[in-house]
Amino acid sequence: MSLIERLGTFGDAKVWYDNIPLESEYTVGIAGERFLRAIKDRGVILGTVCPACDLTYVPPSMYCERCFTQLDEWVELPAKGTVYTFTIVTRSLDGQALDEPEILAFVKLPGAHGGLVHRLTTAKPEDVEIGMEVEVVFKPQKEREGSILDIKGFKPT
Amino acid sequence: MGMRKVAVVGAGMTKFMRRAQETGRELAYQATKMALDSCEMTLDDIDSVALGTAPDAFDGVHMKGEYLSDGAGAWNKPYMRCYVGGGTGVFAAIQGWYQVASGLFDTCLVVCEEKMSSCKPHPQGAFLTIFDHTTERALKPNLIWIFALEMNRYMTVHGLEKKDIARVAVKNKRNALDHPCAQVAADITVEDVLNSEVLAWPVQRLDVSPTSDGAASMVLAAEHVAKRITDKPVWIKGVGWSLDTAYWTNRDLYYPKYVESAARMAYDMAGIKEPRKEIHVVEPYDPFDYKELHHLEGLLLCEKGEAPRLTADGVTARDGDMPVCPSGGLLGVGNPIAASGIMKLNEIFWQLRGEAGKRQVPGQPRTGLAQSWGDLMQVGCVVVLGI
Repeated sequence: MSLIERLGTFGDAKVWYDNIPLESEYTVGIAGERFLRAIKDRGVILGTVCPACDLTYVPPSMYCERCFTQLDEWVELPAKGTVYTFTIVTRSLDGQALDEPEILAFVKLPGAHGGLVHRLTTAKPEDVEIGMEVEVVFKPQKEREGSILDIKGFKPT
Repeated sequence: MGMRKVAVVGAGMTKFMRRAQETGRELAYQATKMALDSCEMTLDDIDSVALGTAPDAFDGVHMKGEYLSDGAGAWNKPYMRCYVGGGTGVFAAIQGWYQVASGLFDTCLVVCEEKMSSCKPHPQGAFLTIFDHTTERALKPNLIWIFALEMNRYMTVHGLEKKDIARVAVKNKRNALDHPCAQVAADITVEDVLNSEVLAWPVQRLDVSPTSDGAASMVLAAEHVAKRITDKPVWIKGVGWSLDTAYWTNRDLYYPKYVESAARMAYDMAGIKEPRKEIHVVEPYDPFDYKELHHLEGLLLCEKGEAPRLTADGVTARDGDMPVCPSGGLLGVGNPIAASGIMKLNEIFWQLRGEAGKRQVPGQPRTGLAQSWGDLMQVGCVVVLGI
């Protein structure tokens, strides 16, 4: 409950309404540019490899956070993976009930030490389990804009 | 005081630019990698990381410290983020200094980053909400007209004309022509400054530094480690910082007393009795041209109101008796807020090691000073470096 609702006589208090009027325009970066272009143009998931640490970064990073080597080796990863963990969201950000529950999952991609967080589509909530095999569903190429939402989500295989 | 000697042993920075393609964390990585490479160190050699970055609103990432951590080399290490607005750069170096001076760590990376181009429609929108939300925000304050009030006061108290101040912009933008990372280096004249667009009298376009993207980093090490790494360590001889009242109308605007307090603290630690004679090269914070003058006075490097004359006489030129902003400063190199403070410390580092190339000041300087300023224009941060 907000402060205004709790204070019965709040109308007597002086308040001043304002906001922080900003928008942000984010560059996706050196690694991010290549990652998103590969999704948009070719419908593939790219990672970068650190040979020294034997790690493959997805989403790709231009450097290894552990040894600080600049990463120049790019690999195409299978557009599929395993559900590492998931949740079923039933309320919106402002607390309203959703018409349809939304399933969000963290999916580990084979060969990568990380993975992608995305929606799990076409799965019934009662059928989802950790360890299930899923694959990436891309939007049709004409609809892709170079965003992470060019991926619709994952679906069970 | 039982504190250990701390040296700067490595330095790096990205080019400062209007809009970088790199993300903030990629910029932080590039500067930090360069700093480590400059002293042939790796992340394994680093015990802790101190990060400085200004309002989260610039990058548009709340908890920007966490966002930047891996690019700053902080994976699996003790890490902190500090922030005092425009003063953040030199302040971050002080945070790194006491991690090593205290004996807690032998090495510390200091990393500062800013990506102001993310902020739309203009980073001034982020400054709108730093002032009092009830009494001042309704007037739509921005830093240009807030500083214009301070500049006018400074000019009036000392009977200065705009041309007395414009010489700083001319000097710094010319100095920056020799800096490979500079964003707005230019060969301009006092007339150009006086003819540039008036933003908020007496502030004109060429009196002001630009908004920038960039990062800068330095490597600090305790004495026993520093001597293994390099035969040219640059010692942190003294540090100081001070905050005046955050309500800016409660203090005298013509003179930055808080800068004097910070400078006195740093001079005491460094054993400096006569700063004008003992400081050989200076990088005061110059987001506006009048601020260089204001700060030289606060740093006790000249009398109150005397800095414009020193500038006119060439004393503060790169080949003058007391070179000021040989890097080109924020007015010439650019002003990615926090990173610009480390840019200044790196300049002093390179100057004292004789590695500043075309920017090298004559006379083999042995002691230099970098200072930053900001917050609600009431913080002064000072570091004295020496060999």
